[in-house]
Amino acid sequence: MRGKIAAALASLLLLATAASPALALDLRQLIREVEEQYMGVSSKARMTMQVRTEHWERTLEMEAWSLGRDYFLTRILAPPKERGVATLKVDQEVWNYLPKVDRVIKIPPSMLGGAWMGSHITNDDLVKANQIDRDYDFTLLEETDELWHIEGIPKPDAAVIWGRIEYTVEKERRVPLVISYFDEEGLKVRDIVFDEVRAVDGRTIPMRMTVQPSDEPAERTVMHYTTIDFDIGIEESFFSLRNLKKR
Amino acid sequence: MLLRLALRNIWRNRRRSLLTISAMVVSASLLILALGVFSGMFRDMLSSATEQYHGHLVISAAGYQEDREMYDHFAPAGDLLRRLSAQPEITGVSPRMRAFGLVSHGDNTDPAELLGVRPRGEESVTTLARQVVSGDFLAPEPGNGAVIGRGLADKLGVSPGDELVFVTQAADGSIGNDLLTVRGVFATGDSGHDNSLVMVGLPWLQKVMALPGQVHELAVAVAEPMEAPRIAEQIKPLLPKGMEILDWGQLLPEMREAIAGYDVSRMIITIILYFAAGLGILNTFFMSVMERTREFGILMAIGMRPMRIRILVLLETLAMGLVSLVLGVGLGLALSLYMQKVGIDLSGTLTPVTYAGGTILPRLHAVIEWSNLAVPAAMLLVVCLLAGFLPANRAAKLKPVEALREE
Repeated sequence: MRGKIAAALASLLLLATAASPALALDLRQLIREVEEQYMGVSSKARMTMQVRTEHWERTLEMEAWSLGRDYFLTRILAPPKERGVATLKVDQEVWNYLPKVDRVIKIPPSMLGGAWMGSHITNDDLVKANQIDRDYDFTLLEETDELWHIEGIPKPDAAVIWGRIEYTVEKERRVPLVISYFDEEGLKVRDIVFDEVRAVDGRTIPMRMTVQPSDEPAERTVMHYTTIDFDIGIEESFFSLRNLKKR
Repeated sequence: MLLRLALRNIWRNRRRSLLTISAMVVSASLLILALGVFSGMFRDMLSSATEQYHGHLVISAAGYQEDREMYDHFAPAGDLLRRLSAQPEITGVSPRMRAFGLVSHGDNTDPAELLGVRPRGEESVTTLARQVVSGDFLAPEPGNGAVIGRGLADKLGVSPGDELVFVTQAADGSIGNDLLTVRGVFATGDSGHDNSLVMVGLPWLQKVMALPGQVHELAVAVAEPMEAPRIAEQIKPLLPKGMEILDWGQLLPEMREAIAGYDVSRMIITIILYFAAGLGILNTFFMSVMERTREFGILMAIGMRPMRIRILVLLETLAMGLVSLVLGVGLGLALSLYMQKVGIDLSGTLTPVTYAGGTILPRLHAVIEWSNLAVPAAMLLVVCLLAGFLPANRAAKLKPVEALREE
């Protein structure tokens, strides 16, 4: 009996929170902060990307620049075989530069779901990630003393790839701990786990990000930021095809 | 004596007999021609499905053909290749590597399937080399040459002499990329291949994919495609462990079903056509028996047994059937031979149709198969005997006294 009353009270309370229009927390703003944590107004970073698959394991060293949410350039520094391979993203378009043949190829929209540099990150992640706070509606699933659990459901008319995204965000430092991605059938596709949270240029960000595909437990991609600087004063003109080809 | 009687009876009413015979001859010969053209269509389909791409038999790691997993590769032992070539039924073996990636020219980039081949081996298995519509097929030492499907060439805007970039993920995880030079453009009529297939040299692809000495499959051609399943069984013991051999029926189950369906539809067409012809023949014989009621009465009155009367009528129908059979098969064969040699080109009004993985070419063209002659011939005799049976029975059951009174 007491349990029932408690349950009823709890659900009433939940209803009250859900219905409350003036929610103190702006979820959309929070998610936008999470999605842009590595970008800032502009940024320059050096990182290693360690990819492990069933058949091989390799580590790439690279550097990356970003400006706002629409400009992104990254270049591989090592291993030598791939040194100079670069990716440029401007708005919704992605180009790759292949130094071995000295050619730039544009990734067709139909291939954006393909792996980026052989990792578990897709080209779509580069293109669509910056739009998540625009394309999804967010609700607070659960709030504890330390964490927010937030669910993102795509807006009815949005052209998106995920059926649902679940964020676990640490309240105090406003950093994500886990982001889980689900397909349209509601099956989990992958987790991205963040850790090694550090303060950099007045921001608090996780320096390590692990992409774990759900159907391949033995595989993963670990992106480790060695350095990251924000507000470095670069212009849009930096993100040009000419610069893409520079070795 | 009975036979002479039967022949005389046929000869007695020449016009009627000739009409009946010509009905049978026309239906048999047209049926043979129709079946020949039908077979021609299926032969085109089968050869396009097998000889344009797969080959009649394919040897690969078990399971490779299902998901085309890049890592299911193997190094073909020279011993295996030699033993395959030593089989008398095998007319060609082509070791191949397959890769999926992006091909790019200028601002255009499209997904593509690359098939790394040794040109000479490939020419012994598939007809692609003969379907090059501009430029040339791969040179014997292909280098970085490529032969590309027409649809894909149009999408990319390339023609022979142009350069292509290929980029993919190699087997070691690195970004495999290199330049190709378009040598030729092929058109098979199968939009799936024309829009995505690029043939390149095997050594070139092995290098880009970081898989030296490896292949994904051995495509095999045999002299008689319908014998493929039997030959597959024969080769199976030669294969190393973990390898499988699939015949075209397993690679293209829809094609196998289409061909099995063909046997059924051939039977149905034969039955429908002969049912109509059979009714005509039945009618003729009934008439001729009714007309001769008095005559049969006399024959019986002078002591001919009913059984012999029955045989007499059946002999008449059989004799006409045999004549029709010879003429019908002869005429049908002649028409089929003409359609085999000359055929009718419909490419002006029709485009190729792809069905069950094969392409039906826009032409009417006959193929001569013995079963296409034997089935109509045998059925013609059966129909004749069936059509003769009822009148013969009727004649045999006549009562001599009543028959004699008939006017």
